[in-house]
Amino acid sequence: MTTRREFLGRAAALSAAALVGARRAHGQQRGAMHDSSIVRDTNNLFAMDQSAAIPVRRPPKPGATPVLNQAQRDELEHHLHCQCGCTLDVFTCRTTDFSCQVSPAMHRDVMALVEGGYNAQEIIDAFVSTYGERALMAPNKSGFNLVAWFAPGAAVIAGGVAVFMLMRRWSGAGARTVAKPTARPIVSQIDATPDELARLDAAIKGEDRE
Amino acid sequence: MILIGELSLWVALLMAAWSMTVSYAGGALRRDDLTASGVRGLYATFAMVVLASVGLWTALLSRDFSLEYVASHISANMPSVYIFTAFWSGQAGSMLFWALILSMYATIAIATSRNKNRELVPWATGTLSAILLFFIATACFKANPFNRLDFLPADGRGMNPQLQNPGMALHPPNLYLGYVATAIPFAFAIAALFARRLDSEWLGVVRRWALLSWFFLTVGIVLGMWWAYVELGWSGYWAWDPVENSSFLPWLTTTAFLHSIMIQEKRGMLRKWNVVLVVMSFLLSIFGTFITRSGVIESVHSFAQSPVGSWFATFFFLSVGITIYLVGTRLKDLEAKVELESMVSREAAFLYNNLLLCGIAFAVLWGTVFPILSEWARGSKITVGPPFFNAVNVPLGLLLLALTGVGPLIAWRRASVSNLKRQFASPAIFGLIVAAALFALGMRALAPLVTYALCGFVAGTIIQEFYKGIRARQSINNESPVTAFVHLVGRNRRRYGGYIVHAGIVMLFAAFAGMAFKLEYDITLSTGQAYEAKDPYGHTWKFVSQGVSTSSRADRETQAVGLETFRDGKRMGIISSEKRRYLDSQGNQLFQPITEVGIHYTGKLDTYVVLAGLRDRDTAELRVTFNPLVVWVWIGGFLMMIGGLIVMWPQAERRRPAAGYAAVMSPKAKSAELAGAV
Repeated sequence: MTTRREFLGRAAALSAAALVGARRAHGQQRGAMHDSSIVRDTNNLFAMDQSAAIPVRRPPKPGATPVLNQAQRDELEHHLHCQCGCTLDVFTCRTTDFSCQVSPAMHRDVMALVEGGYNAQEIIDAFVSTYGERALMAPNKSGFNLVAWFAPGAAVIAGGVAVFMLMRRWSGAGARTVAKPTARPIVSQIDATPDELARLDAAIKGEDRE
Repeated sequence: MILIGELSLWVALLMAAWSMTVSYAGGALRRDDLTASGVRGLYATFAMVVLASVGLWTALLSRDFSLEYVASHISANMPSVYIFTAFWSGQAGSMLFWALILSMYATIAIATSRNKNRELVPWATGTLSAILLFFIATACFKANPFNRLDFLPADGRGMNPQLQNPGMALHPPNLYLGYVATAIPFAFAIAALFARRLDSEWLGVVRRWALLSWFFLTVGIVLGMWWAYVELGWSGYWAWDPVENSSFLPWLTTTAFLHSIMIQEKRGMLRKWNVVLVVMSFLLSIFGTFITRSGVIESVHSFAQSPVGSWFATFFFLSVGITIYLVGTRLKDLEAKVELESMVSREAAFLYNNLLLCGIAFAVLWGTVFPILSEWARGSKITVGPPFFNAVNVPLGLLLLALTGVGPLIAWRRASVSNLKRQFASPAIFGLIVAAALFALGMRALAPLVTYALCGFVAGTIIQEFYKGIRARQSINNESPVTAFVHLVGRNRRRYGGYIVHAGIVMLFAAFAGMAFKLEYDITLSTGQAYEAKDPYGHTWKFVSQGVSTSSRADRETQAVGLETFRDGKRMGIISSEKRRYLDSQGNQLFQPITEVGIHYTGKLDTYVVLAGLRDRDTAELRVTFNPLVVWVWIGGFLMMIGGLIVMWPQAERRRPAAGYAAVMSPKAKSAELAGAV
């Protein structure tokens, strides 16, 4: 049987060994970290990729006239995702961050397409064909993306059904364990005629009040 | 002191390992001596982490740039307050900060419950030490704030100017205080599962800590919203960014728990579910931290691709696995003993409330991780942004708002038709009047109309409850309305504090709905030029450019534009917005240029001006946004905090018996108390 003193002594020796090992491992870790520049850390919070803009060009339609006014164009830009890494839409980014070069480039492409006679859906399609679906602020409601759109609703409905079933079970169990044993014996123990019981029932319901 | 701090961190690692091992051994072998040693180990860990933290603060305040962390996050000319807050502004510091808060919480939780929950203490201590061990190990091996540079830089890189804001100084610590507090209920839930003591014994401790977590998460989230609004310049306060979402997730599950725990307290039901909610809240906190640190999801907040991501993922999945095993093997011990009597009762309303809160949590989580799933399943990146989250969450949020009015007034066990009529007739009429009035004033958008009708309904239920309570106290005690209000709230803090939180929620929903009427104008103005724009209330605003000014200071160059504003011809003052470029002592640009937003606040509307760019020396490109009712977000958030504080405040009646007082209440006082409890 190990005494407490022996146990503590061994634990202290183990701790010292672990400390030395940990320090050694830490030293190796530091060596590895020094290969890179000073920590990529919070100061990169707002670092953005300014080379992410890809030209979205289409030839103007014959006899093109713009079919979108400025408000509609701005609304369209709210559906396009700036690719600089800011998570904002093109309109908000370009009117917020004057150091971003991506959203103004995307805005110029939008304006050129508007001038070229393209409508909102055609412009969105042009951006999606160039950047992929990440050009949109929300996934299209088609194909695999339907899973994204319908899963939350399906989960809530499934949860609702589960809650309903549970409540039915609980209320059923309540009826079995509470109502059944009490209903018959009480009646059988009362020494009263059916007429007296009917009058008692009426009195309880307040029907005999003047 | 810095060296002592560094060594203390390593000793804390050993202490946490010791505490975890002997505490679990004490629980398994039922050896009180081992348990006592584990508890002392936990206290020692706290002391060591405090020393380590003092060491880091000393390094920061003494501007010891030989430390990588100090050189990366502060510069010599930064204000001291932000040098102090730099402790948690970077990854390595925030790991230590997390360990500091957790060790403090753990020490308080164990010290205050040692005598009350003897069987749970060894397991809870072991679990808390295990979590502490993970965070301290991460700080030691993967993100050590005491790492030294091979050279001594003349100055540090400084802190991003957008983080040098009071909101950002306070937002992260509050979030951490909220996140970390979820660990205490988790540890006691795990302890209850280990010890198979799944009665109500652990609920008392858990509820207090869950409330504390909820309170700090609320404060942190609201401060983060305020910072985003005044500092980032995109004229909103919530962008459904993955990191925002990850702070919202544990808030939702903790809110669900604070409601469902009432059912367990009153009826002994939902024992399994409550354990699941407690565990989910903690795991979602870890998941949120994983998202923030790993860089797996694109976010402006992400701490780039950092080495701690894989550690967090491992810890997260390990915690999930252990919890599933424990819950799975103790399902029989968690069986409820009481049955539901009606689907129209407060119990049922709380179940619906939990369903919706968890449904929203699932929707937010799903939208947050779906880009990863899509990339994994199809190999293509997608963005899941505000249009998705708004479309999915608005209907669920409105149902939840309706339940906020229904839940507190419906009777326990079984609600009768007369009960429903008595409680809900006036609030329902009030809600309909609000909707009708807004419709008559020209509001046609369905979602805001429904929102305001529901806000009217919920506000009606809250006002009715306070009115009835105050009237009852006035008639019994002959008190003034103000005294009656104070005594009413003081007598039943949980109930009336809850109503105050609900009032804050109503304000938030009203403010959120107001943003549906937001109007934006993208304008270009040269000096002296004017632009007229209509706000959502139909007022005409005129903005006259006062020209572009430039100025230089030692640390920055500023370009500013001032707009003289008039509403319907009445002068409203000057709103100015700036762009700032921060420079080092050599004149080199630090960070990206930042925006200083100009905001004119009123209760009805914020007029929000952003200098987007300069076309030439006196022509500014601006965005002017009219944001209705934003100020009510801050008022509503503040009210929620006040309500939370009232709920958390200990009841005097409960303290007296423990202190040995046994006063006999007079019939008058007794009936007043009963009235307060109505």
